[in-house]
Amino acid sequence: MKKIPMNWSGQDDAMVENAIRRGATRRELLKMLMASGVGAAAGGSLLMRADRAVAATPKSGGNLRAAGWSSSTADTLDPAQASLSTDYVRCCAFYDRLTFLNETGNVENELATELATDDAQTWQIKLREGVTFHDGKAFGADDVVFSLKRHLDPAVGSKVNSIAKQMTEISKVDDKTVKIVLDQPNADLPTILSLHHFMIVAEGTTDFSKGNGTGAFICETFEPGVKSLATKNPNYWKENRPYLDSFEFFAITDNNARVNALMSGDIQLAASVNPRSMRILKSDPKVVTSVSTSGNYTNLNMRLDLNPGDKAGFVEGMKYLLNREAIQKSVFRGLAEIANDQPISPADRYHNPNLKAREFDPEKAKALFEKAGVLGTEIPIVASDAATSSVDMATIVQQAGDQIGMKFKIDRVPSDGYWSNYWLKAPVHFGNINPRPTPDILFSLLYASDAPWNESQYKSAKFDKMLAEARGALDDSKRTQMYWEMQEMVANEAGTAIPVYISNVDALSDKVGGLKPNPLGGMMGYDFARHVWLES
Amino acid sequence: MPGSLTLWFLVLQRLGIALLTLLIVSFAVFFATELLPGDVAQILLGQAATPEAVAGLRHAMGLDEPAILRFFGWLAGLVHGDLGTSYVNKMPVAQLIGDRLINSLKLAGVTTVVSVPISLLMGIAAAMWRGSIFDRVISTLTISLISVPEFLVATLSVLVFAVWLGWLPALSYGADTSSFTALLKAYAMPVITLSFVISAQMIRMTRAAVIETINTPYVEMALLKGASRRRMVLGHALPNALGPIANAIALSLSYLVGGVIIVETIFNYPGVAKLMVDAVSTRDLPLIQSCAMIFCVSYLSLITLADLIAILSNPRLRH
Amino acid sequence: MKTLSNPLLLISHAHHGYAFNKVGRAGLAVIIFWGLIAIFGPLIEPYPPGQIASYDIFTPVSAEHWMGLDYLGHDVFSRVLMGARYTVGIALASVFLACTGGVILGMIAAVAGGLFDMILSRLLDAFNGIPSLLFGLVAVAAVGSSIPVLVLTLAAIYLPGSYRFARALAVNVNTMDFVTVARARGEKTPYLILREIFPNILGPVLADLGLRFVFIVLVLSGLSFLGLGVQPPNADWGALVRENVEGLSLGAPAIIFPCIAIASLTISVNLFIDNLPTKIRDRS
Repeated sequence: MKKIPMNWSGQDDAMVENAIRRGATRRELLKMLMASGVGAAAGGSLLMRADRAVAATPKSGGNLRAAGWSSSTADTLDPAQASLSTDYVRCCAFYDRLTFLNETGNVENELATELATDDAQTWQIKLREGVTFHDGKAFGADDVVFSLKRHLDPAVGSKVNSIAKQMTEISKVDDKTVKIVLDQPNADLPTILSLHHFMIVAEGTTDFSKGNGTGAFICETFEPGVKSLATKNPNYWKENRPYLDSFEFFAITDNNARVNALMSGDIQLAASVNPRSMRILKSDPKVVTSVSTSGNYTNLNMRLDLNPGDKAGFVEGMKYLLNREAIQKSVFRGLAEIANDQPISPADRYHNPNLKAREFDPEKAKALFEKAGVLGTEIPIVASDAATSSVDMATIVQQAGDQIGMKFKIDRVPSDGYWSNYWLKAPVHFGNINPRPTPDILFSLLYASDAPWNESQYKSAKFDKMLAEARGALDDSKRTQMYWEMQEMVANEAGTAIPVYISNVDALSDKVGGLKPNPLGGMMGYDFARHVWLES
Repeated sequence: MPGSLTLWFLVLQRLGIALLTLLIVSFAVFFATELLPGDVAQILLGQAATPEAVAGLRHAMGLDEPAILRFFGWLAGLVHGDLGTSYVNKMPVAQLIGDRLINSLKLAGVTTVVSVPISLLMGIAAAMWRGSIFDRVISTLTISLISVPEFLVATLSVLVFAVWLGWLPALSYGADTSSFTALLKAYAMPVITLSFVISAQMIRMTRAAVIETINTPYVEMALLKGASRRRMVLGHALPNALGPIANAIALSLSYLVGGVIIVETIFNYPGVAKLMVDAVSTRDLPLIQSCAMIFCVSYLSLITLADLIAILSNPRLRH
Repeated sequence: MKTLSNPLLLISHAHHGYAFNKVGRAGLAVIIFWGLIAIFGPLIEPYPPGQIASYDIFTPVSAEHWMGLDYLGHDVFSRVLMGARYTVGIALASVFLACTGGVILGMIAAVAGGLFDMILSRLLDAFNGIPSLLFGLVAVAAVGSSIPVLVLTLAAIYLPGSYRFARALAVNVNTMDFVTVARARGEKTPYLILREIFPNILGPVLADLGLRFVFIVLVLSGLSFLGLGVQPPNADWGALVRENVEGLSLGAPAIIFPCIAIASLTISVNLFIDNLPTKIRDRS
């Protein structure tokens, strides 16, 4: 294999792969590469790598060992409580959802065969015939009603309780039809049902440790904080799936250890590797990487109701002081896209491309800080390893502040208890938000006046009104228009500075085929197990 | 026979005190956990922790009653040998700990068998030939080895032996352990890493303690009179230094049960150290308490053993 | 090796008096060097420690960046100079506190014996039984994060071990004839501790101090993950090693130089202790 030029980043790999998927010819691709300064020889080998990642014929059989990055005794197979990538991966293997998001971000049916509505408020969902759970029980409307209603019970501790609340009625029409009525129209229901938490479990399940679902794999062993072993479900409803005979999943929390285990061949997939490991991974011809940029971001939150965020000019000043290019290039080694202070990423079809990111402008920031009367004071910024790369981002802000005589004190606090203790609470702090499939979910969770995670305490009656209106709009262009305007409002008015959308990099053995980026997150939206195969 | 009687009395007394110590530790751990921000319901819900969700989950988990009452309930269960149930995943704590404790003890056992004899030999030899090239090399080498952070030793050895040379598996747990050689391969790197960490203290303390006893007037006199150097060291200096040496070894070994979090993380070896970290980060009180008790019991038994060795080795302390 | 078989060697050593040997002097020189860097380092740093000097990372050594660039494009040389202050300062302060406290308590317990010894020993055992992770987290939660809190936490974590070792040594010395004689003379406890016990356990105690120093230098970086360590953009040497660990497979100087800094300091401290003038070490 030819040497890859050093400045060639994983993001460019993703660009090439995406271009191939769109149907670009080899010549067009080479031209594209030459334009970006890559020599013909190196370009050729890049294409070979991308080709291999895109086109191949699936094979059956084999055992896949894959490692995520976090696992603890809190690991669970209860989809409602699932909170970490590790839980999502296992839930995707053992259960199915009514719908799922494919790699282009479009909704496909899974256990549902049809979702019909006239007003986006009352929905009739037709269910797939001939599906059985692992224990042999037939799948039907009762299971769906049970699975969805669970989220409304506070005792379940569901992570999506606030999203599920809009379902005011969930009822069985007949054995293969379910009716859902919402408190107000929401055209996004099919996408909402593709969230990992809305996996369908068998009616009446109380013990989730067996992972009894309709999914492509059957749970053999599950030890929280240690590992899980799954074997192929021979009765899976989807033809010829899954390809793998079995797959093992556990977590290796240390990035280096995960990368080393992949390079030594102990595992075939290492999820979410640090961009700084890219250089060593690229030097190994037996390893390929898969980059997906979805909506994951680490943001700087300034509470608008607390000092200094309540002083006019401070928030805007901070947005100008955020050196987005430095964050993209230094912290994420180019594996991130510059963002414009609003949560809808370019991976989302409602992303507003006309909204440009603020340029790094320390002088403008200085003027704004002067106006706010904060210049010369020392402002604490709370950062933690709990929010990805926030400590590094904080030092970049601090450094920029030093240039204009604005002092920032970094309070690095423990990951332990960060989300309950500092997040949403400290006047200036970092947060980390995972990708969500629709603008409505993001805005309702993060920016509506009554949002449970209103990070900057942003309150706008106009925004709330537009949010409700867009939710029920069945006319897509009108909806797009509204979402674009709302993105502008958030970018200019809210106290949340979003510097970049972070790409996720999964590294895998070149023996693994079929892995594609997905807007719901890394590892094919955590759903890789039933889509990938192993070359012998 | 009065000697062995006092010994028995001593052991019984220490046993009683150990139980008291455990009780104190248990209370201290309870209060420490209570001081930490957030409870298990908040932590489990993470970012989704709205006040009503937290209240609902807390109620469903049976965490409504005051923490101190739950703690006493746990203590009462412990008296009957019941370690309780994990708040987080509803599994019996004994089941959660079971395999992982065995894993930890296996690793600690192998490391002890490898490192203690070597350390003792090297320490004694360094003391006997104090000031020689051998002594200096050993001293500098041991300090150099512990000066390198543990995670670096572990990562570097994986890089060299698993990635570049491909001789050993990168992950110890789940590796092939069907044959003796395979087992050896799986344990080689964690054991070597841990031996590096704990040997230095044992070697240096052994050396220092033996030298100190060589320096006593009695030994100096005997050496002046022409007594054999080796006999003086092994026959006189060593027994007198056994107390401090045993203490140094006990302190080093106590690290092997609860302190090996880095080795467990890098070699993906599920032991009790990681379990404790999980338990603390989820505020899972029964699990925290049980792990703390395990660490404390292992520490207490090691130091009690060291104290006994100290007393037995020094005739004057026996009375 | 020939002279070494001579049993007189040990004794002859004891007559060297206060002379420092070469190795000891070399150790002292390195310690003083790092001490000076700790004080004056920030004056000679070519870059502020938090400044991103380039978008390139893990570069080899160059005329511009003597120790290359680190994981974020900081100048490693500047960061090593900056780290000296935290590593040397914090480690010395906490090892001094831990060992002074431990040794004094250990000797008192050994000489006083009885109930006092038992209660103190068991209390410290119990304290040692509290996992240090929990202890560190509680310290942060209760009193917040600052350098004095960090020093005290480290001292608290390492005191019981120091106590235990010193006590074991002192108990042995306490049974020796000369102590019994002194006691029979009617000497008071402080005299016994200072004049009879302390000189006779000093050697191993110093060796123990040297080791504890190494442990503290290394554990510092671990504590910064509990929010208890040095706050960014500053960092101690251990933290420099940790944050650059991805550079290990690339052989980046960013990880090698902080390691060399740590090793040179810890080895020198121990060589210095090992080669202290015999009059100081072995005053028996």
